Amino acid sequence: MIGGYMGKVLEVDLNSKQVKKYALPHHMLELYVGNKGLGARLLYDLLPPATDPLSEKNVFIVTTAPLTGSGAPSSNRFNITTKSPLTGTIVNSNCGGDFGIHLKKAGYDALIITGKADRPVYLNIDGENVSIEDAAELWGLDTQKTQEKLPPKTGKIVIGPAGENLVKYASVISEERVAGRGGVGAVMGSKNLKAVVARGDQKVRVAHEEKFKEICKKWRELARQHPATGEELPRYGTAVFVNKCNATFTLPTRNYRYGTFSEADAVSGETLAEKYLVKNIGCRGCPIACGRLVEFKGKKIKGPEYETVGLLGPNIMNADLMAIIEFNYLADLLGLDTISLGNTLGFVMEAGEKGLIKTNLAFGKIDGISQAIEDIAYRRGFGDEMAEGVRYLSQKYGGEEFAIHVKGLEIASYEPRGAVGQGLGYAIASRGGCHIGGGYAIYLEANGPITVDPLTPLGKPGLVVLNQTTMEAVSSLGCCIFTVYMFLPRQLLELNARSPFASKLIRGTFLYGGNLIGRALSLPAWTLPVKPPFIMLPQVWAHVYCTGQRFTLGRLMELGKRVVNMDRIFNLREGLTARDDTLPARLTEELQRSEEPNSRVPLDKMLPKYYHFRGWSRDGVPKAKTLRTLRIDPQQSHPAAAVSSESATTGS
Amino acid sequence: MVEVRLYASMRAAAGEKRFFTDASSVKELLQQAEGRYGKEFAARLKVATILVNGKNIAHLKWRRTRLQDGDVVSIFPPLAGG
Ligand code: SF4
Repeated sequence: MIGGYMGKVLEVDLNSKQVKKYALPHHMLELYVGNKGLGARLLYDLLPPATDPLSEKNVFIVTTAPLTGSGAPSSNRFNITTKSPLTGTIVNSNCGGDFGIHLKKAGYDALIITGKADRPVYLNIDGENVSIEDAAELWGLDTQKTQEKLPPKTGKIVIGPAGENLVKYASVISEERVAGRGGVGAVMGSKNLKAVVARGDQKVRVAHEEKFKEICKKWRELARQHPATGEELPRYGTAVFVNKCNATFTLPTRNYRYGTFSEADAVSGETLAEKYLVKNIGCRGCPIACGRLVEFKGKKIKGPEYETVGLLGPNIMNADLMAIIEFNYLADLLGLDTISLGNTLGFVMEAGEKGLIKTNLAFGKIDGISQAIEDIAYRRGFGDEMAEGVRYLSQKYGGEEFAIHVKGLEIASYEPRGAVGQGLGYAIASRGGCHIGGGYAIYLEANGPITVDPLTPLGKPGLVVLNQTTMEAVSSLGCCIFTVYMFLPRQLLELNARSPFASKLIRGTFLYGGNLIGRALSLPAWTLPVKPPFIMLPQVWAHVYCTGQRFTLGRLMELGKRVVNMDRIFNLREGLTARDDTLPARLTEELQRSEEPNSRVPLDKMLPKYYHFRGWSRDGVPKAKTLRTLRIDPQQSHPAAAVSSESATTGS
Repeated sequence: MVEVRLYASMRAAAGEKRFFTDASSVKELLQQAEGRYGKEFAARLKVATILVNGKNIAHLKWRRTRLQDGDVVSIFPPLAGG
C-alpha cells in the first residue's frame, strides 16, 4: 500500500442502511491523490448526471489526503465534494477541523454518503463499526451545542438550523472551522443527516519515517521564518488583508460599487489584534495558527476571517468590528456561509435603495442584520427568499447587473476591478465566484509583496493558469492553501525590494512570461522531471517521504491540471457552457474609478487565451488530446467493486 | 504634506499608525522613517511594499518616485491571508 493511505473507503447508503468498504484502485490514488482531486473524480464517477442536488441521489463525499493526520504541518485538511444546490456545479469545500484526522484514525481515506434517512440521524463511525443513530434530540440545535452533545474525543462534522432548512449556502462545521461554500450543509440537511462522528485508533503509516520527520521539521521552521506566514499571519490573522486591499482598490465596498472604504482600519486585522484578540487558534498541527480567539460579551469565541470582515463590513458599509464579530458568531452557530451571506445582504440593501425590493436593511445600518441572519437560517418571512442567494433574488426582483455572483456562487471579498486577473479567476473557477479555485491572481497583482500591473490583461491568463494549477495540486496533497505563500521565499522578497532591476526581472517573468508559463503548462509531466525547490514547495517533499512515491514538479503541475479538467468535465456534463464563465456587468462594464479608464475587468481579452493554455476549445471544452495527456478517462465508472457489504446498525 | 500610513508589523515597529512629512521623494521619506523609528523598522523595510496613492512604487519610479502635497504613502510588510 502507498504510504499515508489507510487503504479503504467507506460508503454508506442512508436509504438501505447498507455499508460498503472497499479499496480504491492504485491508479486512481496515483492520478488524483486526495482531498480536492480525489473528491472530484469520485463525484464524477458516482453521481448520476443531472441529479437534483437536494435529492436523495446526490452524493456527499468527504476525502482526506496522505498527509492528513500524518504529522505534516498545516496539512490536516479534509475536503467535502458534492453537487452544489446553490450553483448546480461541483463544489469542493475545504476545512481544517479535526474530522479528517479522526476519519483516518477510523481507518478510512474517504467517506461517501448516498440516499436519505427517513428521519433525522447522525452517522457514527467507530473504526469498523458503523451505525446510524437517531438525531431527534440534535435536530434544531446550533452547531456548537450539537458538537457538545456528540461523543467527546471524536472528529465531527455537523450542520446547524440553516443546513436543516436547506438554505442554499448552509455550511458544515468541524470544531470551530468551517467548510463554508456552495451549500454543502444543505446537502447534509437534505439527507436528514445532522452530523457524522468518527473515531478510531489506527495510525497513518508513513513510508520513510525518519526523512519525513526531518522534512516536516524543516518545513515548520521555514513557515516560522517566512515574514508572511511566520509573522504577519499569526500576528494579525487573515484580516490583515483589509488595509492592504483597501489601499489597492480591491476591498469590496457598498455591494462592490467601490474598492475602498474610508473606515477600513476600524475593521482591520490590526484593530482586531489590538482590541479583541485573546489568543491565536488554528487547525490541528499548524505552526501558523492564523485563527483568532476573541472576547465577545464575556465569552471567548472564534473571530472573523478576512472574507467575513470584508463582506459583513465594508461591503455593507459597516465599520463596527464588534458587530462583525457578532454576525460571524451567529452565522457559524446557525451554519451559514458568511461570504454568500454578506453578498446577499449587500445585494438586498442596494436593491432596496433602488426600489426593487422592499426592505428595512440599508447600507451602514447594523440594526436588523442579526434578525435577518436568523430569518435566513430559519427561512422566516423574506429570509426564506434570501436563503436562495443573490442569483435567485436578482432573477426574481431584477438588478442582475449588480448581483455579485458567478455561476450562482457569490464572489469572495476581493474587488476584481482593482486586479483584473482575479476577475478572470472568478469567471473560470469551477464552483463559481471563488478566489481560491480561480487561482488567486490578486496576490501577484495587488495584495502580495511582489505585484505586476494589476489593471492590464496582458499575461494574466498565463498567471491564472500557473497559480490555479499550483493551488489545485497543493490542495489535493491535503495542505492548507496558505502554505503556498512560501512560494515567494524571503530571499526573493529581499531581492525584489533591494534591486529595481531584479524586481523588474521577477515581475516581468510573472507578467510577460505568463504566456510562456501558460504554454509550458500544457506540456506533459515528463518534461519537468525535477523535484521542486524545497524552500518554495516543501509540501511536495513531505508528500514524497509520506507516500514513498516519486513526485516531480512535472507531476505536481499535471495533478493541478488534472483537477481543473476533472471539475470542468463534471460541470460540462451538468449542462454548463462557456457562457457561464462570466462576471456580473458591474465588474466588466462599470468603471470602479471614473479617473481610471482600466478599472473594469476586460474578461473578453483574457478568457480565450485561458482556454487555449488549458488545452480547451474556443467553447471552453477540454480537447480529447488534453484529457488523454492528463490520463483522464471521461467514462463514468464506479471506482471499485465492493469488497465488503453489511448493514449499518441503527441506534434507538 | 504627505501622509505616511503604516500597517501590520510596520505599525507595531513604529509604535504609531501614521506620520506626516514634507519629503519630496520616496527615498527621502524612507530615510526619515528609518531615522525616526530605528533599527527594527529599518530591518523590516528590507522586504516591505511601498504604495504611493495605491500604486506600488515598483510600477512608478521606485525610490526616486516624486511626492507631492496630498499624496498618501502606505507601507506594508509581506502579507498572507485570504
Ligand atoms: S494557516 Fe490557518 S487555515 Fe491554514 S492550516 Fe494553519 S491555522 Fe488552518
